Amino acid sequence: MTGNAENHWYPVAMLSGLTEARETLLLGRQITVGPGEDVAWAKSADGSPMPVVERFGHLWTCPGEPRKDLFSIPEADAPGRRLVDVGSVKVRCSPLRAVENFLDIAHFPFVHTDILGAEPHTEVERYEVEIQDDTDEVWAKKVKFHQPQAAKSATTGIMTEYMYRVPEPTCSVLYKTCPPRPGEWDIITLFVQPLTEEWCEVWPWMALYDDESTMSEMVSFQQMIFLQDRSILENQIPRKLPLDPGMEVPTQADMTSVAYRRWLKKIGFGYGAQLVAA
Amino acid sequence: MGWIAGGLCADVPPGTVVPICVDGVDLAVWCSQKGTFSAWGDRCPHRGMRLSHGFVRGETLSCIYHGWQYDEAGSCAYIPAHPALTPPKTICAKSYLCSAKDGVIWVSLTETTKEPPDIGNRKPVRSLPFDCSPGDLGRLLKTNLHPVIVVGGSSDLALAVQPVSDRTCMVHALAAEGHDPKAVSRQLEDMRRAFEEQAA
Repeated sequence: MTGNAENHWYPVAMLSGLTEARETLLLGRQITVGPGEDVAWAKSADGSPMPVVERFGHLWTCPGEPRKDLFSIPEADAPGRRLVDVGSVKVRCSPLRAVENFLDIAHFPFVHTDILGAEPHTEVERYEVEIQDDTDEVWAKKVKFHQPQAAKSATTGIMTEYMYRVPEPTCSVLYKTCPPRPGEWDIITLFVQPLTEEWCEVWPWMALYDDESTMSEMVSFQQMIFLQDRSILENQIPRKLPLDPGMEVPTQADMTSVAYRRWLKKIGFGYGAQLVAA
Repeated sequence: MGWIAGGLCADVPPGTVVPICVDGVDLAVWCSQKGTFSAWGDRCPHRGMRLSHGFVRGETLSCIYHGWQYDEAGSCAYIPAHPALTPPKTICAKSYLCSAKDGVIWVSLTETTKEPPDIGNRKPVRSLPFDCSPGDLGRLLKTNLHPVIVVGGSSDLALAVQPVSDRTCMVHALAAEGHDPKAVSRQLEDMRRAFEEQAA
């Protein structure tokens, strides 16, 4: 069962890199995307046009009937933010595994050693998680973690605070303590294009307050982080995200992941998921 | 199937972990600092990460993803995200029988009360992958794949065959003491070439 996956929005191209028509995969089906005079376009394999939205530096499409408009990130429009197209990383894993890894902080000391985390600062304190019924989004708040180098602009280790938001099954938005501007949040997103159930293209995008780093420094920093994640994501068994509670063992640190899996079940999203224990 | 040679002790020194595959089952084989060998299912119960990518500290194996530590029995002993928590006994890696004997790491996917096989007066030389099915290899060696097959020759060669998939085997070669390792290696490579040609 793959559920109603066709009625959601997905990123399919980075607008700044979309200079000519090209073929790609979405939910296992071939589609074509290309630049337009005013707005970029997307077509299914039989040539019929698909709905498109240009937002957050990317082209978005929906293979079926969108259940709602593409989400917004109002904070990203604030003046002074630098919008960063990070590029893409193709990963041999379920798109849902990629999102779950993004929501996880407990792996920082081991996978992003000395950058996003370091021993002995491994403890994950209790934080708040909810599935918001009105917006139908997963939110985690008051997530705190000790980080040696929280961002390209960071110079010393700090206690970083996070908020995570899952507005679409294969998209997550992270609001994170902004070292140069106390009181504001840096925004780092993970937009995942499901090529198939076990293969995805990850398009990270950021809206940061950072007047020091060059664009290429910010891109390189984030790409380094995602390449470290890829070595994990391509070695998880099974490749699909198990939604059966008996298959994997969560702890309190995994509350966001537990809510995410529960929400996927609730909205009937099974593409890239394994519903029963193998 | 009983005991199968999963590798040579010399290739898994204390403090290391390696991935092996026995008959389609992925295993993490590791050697503790004190020299105890273990063979576990290659999957952390927490998030399914391959344990063979993990790291050995003392007498424990840690998963590389979240640092969960497992003791020699395979029970989770420490979860770094919750340093004060004593992990429930129910969290454990799947462990298989594993025994190091005469320089060979023996594993068994099924319960057995037998001892690992006797390799006679021989020493492990090297392991070599063969690009043919376990069935083909048995046919070419004119025998069932017993844990150790003596093929003789000047170096008194014995082979311990590890079926990997339906297309590949790992062959662990053991030879009498005082043999020339280079000569044994050549003999094994000649055998591989001949077998792979016949199996093709």
